[in-house]
Amino acid sequence: MNSILTYIILAPLIGALVVLLVPRNFRFIIRGIAQAATLISMVLAIKMFFFDFTTNFPREQLTEKIQWVASLGINYHVGVDGLNVGLILMGAIVAFAAVCVSHNIKTYEKEFYILLLVMTGGILGAFASLDLFFFYFFHELALVPTFIMIGVWGRGENKNYATFQITLYLSIGALLALVGLIALYLQLPLGNRTFNIIELTKYFKAQPMNLAAQQFIFPLLLFGFGILVSLWPFHTWAPLGYGSAPSATAMLHAGVLKKFGLYGLIRIALPLMPDASQSWLHVLAVLCLGNIVYCGFVAMRQRDLNLLIGNSSVAHMGFCFLGIASLTLIGITGAVTVMVAHGLLAALTFALSGYIYQQTGTLDIRQMGGLLRQIPFIGAALVMAAMAGCGLPGFANFPGEALVLFGAWKAFPLVTALAVWGALVIGAVYMLRAVRNILHGPMAANQTPIADASLLRKLPYALLLATLLLFGFVPSLLTDKIKPSAQSIVEMATRPLKIQKMEKDSSATAPRAAVK
Amino acid sequence: MNDLLPNLPWSVLFLPLLSAVAIALFTKKNRGLSAGISIGAIVISFLLSAFLFFQYRDAKQIPDTVLSWVSVGNLSVDIGIKLDSLSLLMLLIVTGVGSAIHIYSWGYMHEDRAVSRYFASLSLFTFSMLGIVLATNFFQMFIFWELVGVSSYLLIGFWYERASAADAAKKAFITNRLGDFGFLIGIIMVWALAGSLSFGTLQESFKANPQILGASATLAGLLIFCGAMGKSAQFPLHVWLPDAMEGPTPVSALIHAATMVAAGVYMLCRVFFLFNLPALEIISWIGGFTALLAAVIAVQQNDIKRILAYSTLSQLGYMVMAVGVGGPAAAMFHLTTHAFFKALLFLGAGSVIHALHHEQDIWKMGALKKKMPVTFWTFLIGTLALAGIPPFSGFYSKDAVLAAAFEHNAILFIVATLVAALTAFYMFRLFFVAFLGAPKSDASDHAHESPKIMTMPLQILAVLAVIGGLIGIDTFIGKTFQPEAHAVHFAERFLAPFGHAPMAALFGILASVIGFSIAWSLYANASCDPLPEKLGVLSRAMRNKFYFDEIYSGLIAITHEAASRLADFIDRWIVAGLMVRGAHGTTELFGRALRLVQTGNLQIYAFLFVAGVAVVLYFVLFRS
Repeated sequence: MNSILTYIILAPLIGALVVLLVPRNFRFIIRGIAQAATLISMVLAIKMFFFDFTTNFPREQLTEKIQWVASLGINYHVGVDGLNVGLILMGAIVAFAAVCVSHNIKTYEKEFYILLLVMTGGILGAFASLDLFFFYFFHELALVPTFIMIGVWGRGENKNYATFQITLYLSIGALLALVGLIALYLQLPLGNRTFNIIELTKYFKAQPMNLAAQQFIFPLLLFGFGILVSLWPFHTWAPLGYGSAPSATAMLHAGVLKKFGLYGLIRIALPLMPDASQSWLHVLAVLCLGNIVYCGFVAMRQRDLNLLIGNSSVAHMGFCFLGIASLTLIGITGAVTVMVAHGLLAALTFALSGYIYQQTGTLDIRQMGGLLRQIPFIGAALVMAAMAGCGLPGFANFPGEALVLFGAWKAFPLVTALAVWGALVIGAVYMLRAVRNILHGPMAANQTPIADASLLRKLPYALLLATLLLFGFVPSLLTDKIKPSAQSIVEMATRPLKIQKMEKDSSATAPRAAVK
Repeated sequence: MNDLLPNLPWSVLFLPLLSAVAIALFTKKNRGLSAGISIGAIVISFLLSAFLFFQYRDAKQIPDTVLSWVSVGNLSVDIGIKLDSLSLLMLLIVTGVGSAIHIYSWGYMHEDRAVSRYFASLSLFTFSMLGIVLATNFFQMFIFWELVGVSSYLLIGFWYERASAADAAKKAFITNRLGDFGFLIGIIMVWALAGSLSFGTLQESFKANPQILGASATLAGLLIFCGAMGKSAQFPLHVWLPDAMEGPTPVSALIHAATMVAAGVYMLCRVFFLFNLPALEIISWIGGFTALLAAVIAVQQNDIKRILAYSTLSQLGYMVMAVGVGGPAAAMFHLTTHAFFKALLFLGAGSVIHALHHEQDIWKMGALKKKMPVTFWTFLIGTLALAGIPPFSGFYSKDAVLAAAFEHNAILFIVATLVAALTAFYMFRLFFVAFLGAPKSDASDHAHESPKIMTMPLQILAVLAVIGGLIGIDTFIGKTFQPEAHAVHFAERFLAPFGHAPMAALFGILASVIGFSIAWSLYANASCDPLPEKLGVLSRAMRNKFYFDEIYSGLIAITHEAASRLADFIDRWIVAGLMVRGAHGTTELFGRALRLVQTGNLQIYAFLFVAGVAVVLYFVLFRS
């Protein structure tokens, strides 16, 4: 128990245990515990990010390792480097905000908060884990509550279908990734088998994995993780699921848990399988347009605010994919920055739409209008979120997306140009259309009076906005931390292509030299 | 003092931001205080700018001050301060004209319930604009470029409950985004090819190797120009500007005269070294065409603000054309004088609108000379300056543009002269109809002069509109582009246009006089517009802005909207429907089929079991 990370992960999990012991009619106490647990986690994460983390340290830090199953080489092993430090901070902040906005949950409160806290602990644990087993285990720990929460506390007519679809889809994605990870593990020689990601990376750096294995495992991870991140065309679960999910679940999943797949791609798939990465990245670059452009177009047609936000969130994932596909330092740094920024933004937008739904009883954009006068604070926050969503400087999304675009230009100029169109034009069209319809214009005829958030209730929105603005104004807070880690990932992933070398060798010597 | 000096430009830049933040967070309830903070911030910015101007006026080269914003790999982005004659001049315009407009705004807006929000947006806008002016590199310029876009969105849509204002704000933002699309790609391209984003470094690499952009030089130049096309509202992205008149009138004065629309021209001048000849050629034609198109449309508008809006478009076309024909100094000169007299005209129009209880139709005004003397005289000065009558400022700057066109492109010179005639025509039409003749409505019959807080800025701007051409702005800015230019004596300046390009000057004056005469013959004492009858269909096309809005919405419907419909259809029915539901449906079908087997009836199980055994036996015994 000597790493701050352990406390960050444990706080919500212990909170869940404590809530379990509290009688269910002590609703205030249950909420208080959940709030306190996430608050502790958040404060510690802030401390870790700004004070404990050493920026110019190229390796993982604040590590802790506790042996668990020695025979299989499974350890509880946590640590941070540039790739996950921002994600953990973002996750802890979003979790705190998610508890804040859950005050409208009135049924089965106890179970709700237990699940929410377990989900939070799982997410933070998944990002902090340096052990493949715990990496996956924590993710599942967070994933299962997602399904239950959508099924029980969800809203809308499509709730059941949405739960069904998101469960199947994400389970398949997680399963594909699991098969890939196991295959990866089996690539290690019998004596050296370990779940330690650091050791794995070192091993495969010294002894590159054989090509056939790479070509088998990489697509499994790409599509497995890809499904978890709503990679086009495996994205339809996302808008639907988020549309039906309670705000807190949508915030945590769209904001934080979804980044797990991207994180896995960057942390595991790219560095361990450089040859396969380089041969598959063109595919990824094309698919990311499906996210950025196609889902942007889909978002333009949505009339349900949550479906619009859901599609826009899918679209934003495209920038992360593009950054990964670029396989440059600038692109990967940008992708990780977008991951953090989008987490905050997605949480903010889902929280806002939840507030509006709660007040107006509808999410149909056409039935709203002129709400800004009645809810100046929520309205202003929604305008800011919309602006952040279409890449306005000042919010953290802008530096991230800009880095991705600059990083991807050389490798994929055409894709980048289309992505710029998606970022600047399509994004602006659907975001401003939503603002125009919901907040601007004359008040809708059948509009009942609605109330703006009270001072206390403003806290989560203000917190998320402030973080977005902070990283937007001083992006180097993030990028300087990400850079060294991204650098080592890029170095490993761009080792000269073995396929080409092999081909040259084989053509020179034995024509049928088997690729083994 | 020396320690303080490097910080001054930062204060100029950040004071308005501080003011915006302070108003938004703390003083929203106190209207007077909000206005005071905002006005105070820009006035102090102006004083500091003036100080900087006199401090650095004669400095040869002032090194950039930069802070690193983001630096990853070979992409390093700074936020910095660039001071040279270009930015010093622009600082003065933005903060100076801006101050006048801020002060005027209090008179014009103080009864509005959201006046705090108004001043916060105004301050945010000023901050963004100053960021563009002071930018040391493309990335910083793009950042503030976007911020100008969003603050103009907030200001144009200030009265967001009016559907037209909300739509206009959206349109302005998205049209600008179209331009930014090209701009950003252009920036990335320049960075990828030339390896830097900083204007200083780029300029040096271009000096060392003019071919550094290689084959994509023209493309890169035009993409960069796209940015200017959006902000400075050049054809075909000009459609947002007239609609943006939905904002409060002082906002129109700020955005459409002194600042935002000037940003595009300023940017072109800032990176003038980057454009090669083919790119400049295209730029000049687009500018010339915009100038002509907008001037023609302006002739048949009846809304006082729309006439001014189209005249702004037309004058911006002039400036862009000047850049295109290789006269960035002329463009900046015209930008400066235009900022003076156009701000004056907009504020004058605002004063009239205010007095007439928000009446904007010039055919419902008239006979304002006696009732609003200050507005009348200052508006007259603005009109004379815009029409290019010597010795008002507009004459000198327009002459510089005409002279540049005369040297390089005869056709564009003819276009520009024609535009000058049209300008004089529509401005005097506006003036005669709105200010002279008999009162054409009750409102204009009972008009009163606006309060001092509104007329004071008018008087200040009127002085600038008169003398702007003679105070040496052209030589000051000329230094940037032609370092060897020498100072000219005041008296020489007076007649300078006739010295170096007498043809251009004569044609310019002739055009103005012709425009004035036609306007006089048609509109002195007119009570209705005689032109529609004479021009027929053409007049209707002009009134309807040549149907650009209709054509564009049609185009958008068959491209962007259609793509969106298609994507939505595919997503709903093919990806989510056929594939996902299909996969799910097939699985379920199998499940259901298999369920039929699980009847729970023991006899059936026994039967199936026996049947299975029989099949196995059959295969084992008879088939092997």
